[in-house]
Amino acid sequence: MNMIRKSPWVSIFNASSCNGCDIEVLTLVTPKYDIERFGAQWKMSPRHADILIVTGCTNETTKKRLKTVYDQMAHDKVVMAIGTCGNSGNFWRFCYNVKQRTDSVVPIDIYVPGCPPRPETIIDAVVKALALLKEKKNETKKNNKKATKK
Amino acid sequence: MHDHTHTIPVGPQSPTMKEPMCIRVNLEGNYIKKAHVRMGYLHKGIENMLEGKSLIKCLYITEHICGICSYAHSACFTQAVERLYKIDAHKKAKYIRTIVAELERIHSHLLWFGFAMHEIGYDTMFQYGMREREYVLECFEKITGNRVIHAINKFGTVRYDFDKEKEGKFILDKLAKIEKIYPFYEKMARKNSVITSRMKEVGTISKSMAIKHCMVGPMARASGIKRDIRKDHPYEAYSEVDFELITETAGDSWARTMVRLREIVESIKIIKQLIKNMPEEPVPKFTKAGPLFMANVPEPKKTLTYGQVEAPRGEDFHFYKIEKGIVKKARIRTPTFQNIQVIETLLKGVEIGDIPVIISSFDPCFSCMERMIVVKDGKKEVLKEDEFRSKYC
Ligand code: SF4
Repeated sequence: MNMIRKSPWVSIFNASSCNGCDIEVLTLVTPKYDIERFGAQWKMSPRHADILIVTGCTNETTKKRLKTVYDQMAHDKVVMAIGTCGNSGNFWRFCYNVKQRTDSVVPIDIYVPGCPPRPETIIDAVVKALALLKEKKNETKKNNKKATKK
Repeated sequence: MHDHTHTIPVGPQSPTMKEPMCIRVNLEGNYIKKAHVRMGYLHKGIENMLEGKSLIKCLYITEHICGICSYAHSACFTQAVERLYKIDAHKKAKYIRTIVAELERIHSHLLWFGFAMHEIGYDTMFQYGMREREYVLECFEKITGNRVIHAINKFGTVRYDFDKEKEGKFILDKLAKIEKIYPFYEKMARKNSVITSRMKEVGTISKSMAIKHCMVGPMARASGIKRDIRKDHPYEAYSEVDFELITETAGDSWARTMVRLREIVESIKIIKQLIKNMPEEPVPKFTKAGPLFMANVPEPKKTLTYGQVEAPRGEDFHFYKIEKGIVKKARIRTPTFQNIQVIETLLKGVEIGDIPVIISSFDPCFSCMERMIVVKDGKKEVLKEDEFRSKYC
């Protein structure tokens, strides 16, 4: 519990997923698997979010959008790729419209395998993301201090 | 006079939609003058990928076309293969398939109901809908071992057996819970002023308009058209069960809500009948012999085949050309593809605040829908979205 100092806002980005992962991420905000216990809240706008959840293999159309959305997010962000699609492209990588893996478009911090992963797995990933977020925050603080000293 | 119109893109990443779609609307004051739908955010090229693959691989791929109607797509493919190779599925397998299909319908409708309530700002109802949906997912887990992608179909049989005492009782238990709370939902949908004032007379589709746009599923039934594959061309075990075809006449967003809610009750009715009459003998074991990964069957003379299934959102239609156990051509027509065409006409003249309600009342499912192959002068070109746009639009 000590590491929960911050309530991160989570945003979902559908990069041509099959919906399977989306509805499993959605169950996180429902009564049974409530992630608000960890302070996380589901936000639609990526501008407000600290954690970006990417589902699906990234196709040619969503590639540009994913980059834009990533840039729009405020600093100290964590990106999670949910599902085999986000991790490796699944079998979609043989499609003509899917040319790259998601991690060649935006840097990904946490990979969650499964097709689709169970909600418990995603909760575990969110908790890990919390720790990572804290680390990133501390690092930025240090860098800022260094910059002001100079 | 100046032209006082503004153009606003709604989507692709917008608070009102869970899946990416972009609607460009021209506004005059608060009213929409013109709407333009832009698709292609989920296009991967599934049909193209199916071609040249063996049947067992295609079964796996069709399951992953959509996460919400995963069963419907794989059932459609299985049906097509069974029709071509003249395989008669085992009776118990048919029963199990029908149970999964109906569970999927309940799951999809509850999910949709929750989302529609979320769109009109009624988040309490959203959480209620999701709570009940979780019971259905538990049932899925009990029968198929998976929560979302069920993977229950095999050619001529199903993957897991069904025990009346264990699985049957579990499902009946869970369904009783949904049945108990259902009257509350219906009462809310009929009486609650938050719901009625936002949904009644919003996005009305008349019967003639629905026929003109070839609409299918709950959308068509809400406009008073009696169209349901389960009744018109019974497949699996639908000819053996007794259920009602739900229709409404108003054709507005509220009517679509009511149709979907009332269908939940019918689905529960169907599942109960099926569990009661479930055959005792176990389903045949699935063997790995033969080119089709099933008991050896003679190669048919015909090559063309189709499958037709009533998915939660309407008629799902697959068309295949299969030669020697290899898919040569594939065409998939999904319900959302039929229904979404009316959107541009429908949005004309409505207030911008009504967009979320109207779109969510369509229950669109884009991951099913997005595929595009252009056939021109007998030559097939597979184009990316941008190329297609620059070439043909
Ligand atoms: S990982 Fe599986 S369930 Fe998730 S989007 Fe990909 S195909 Fe769908």
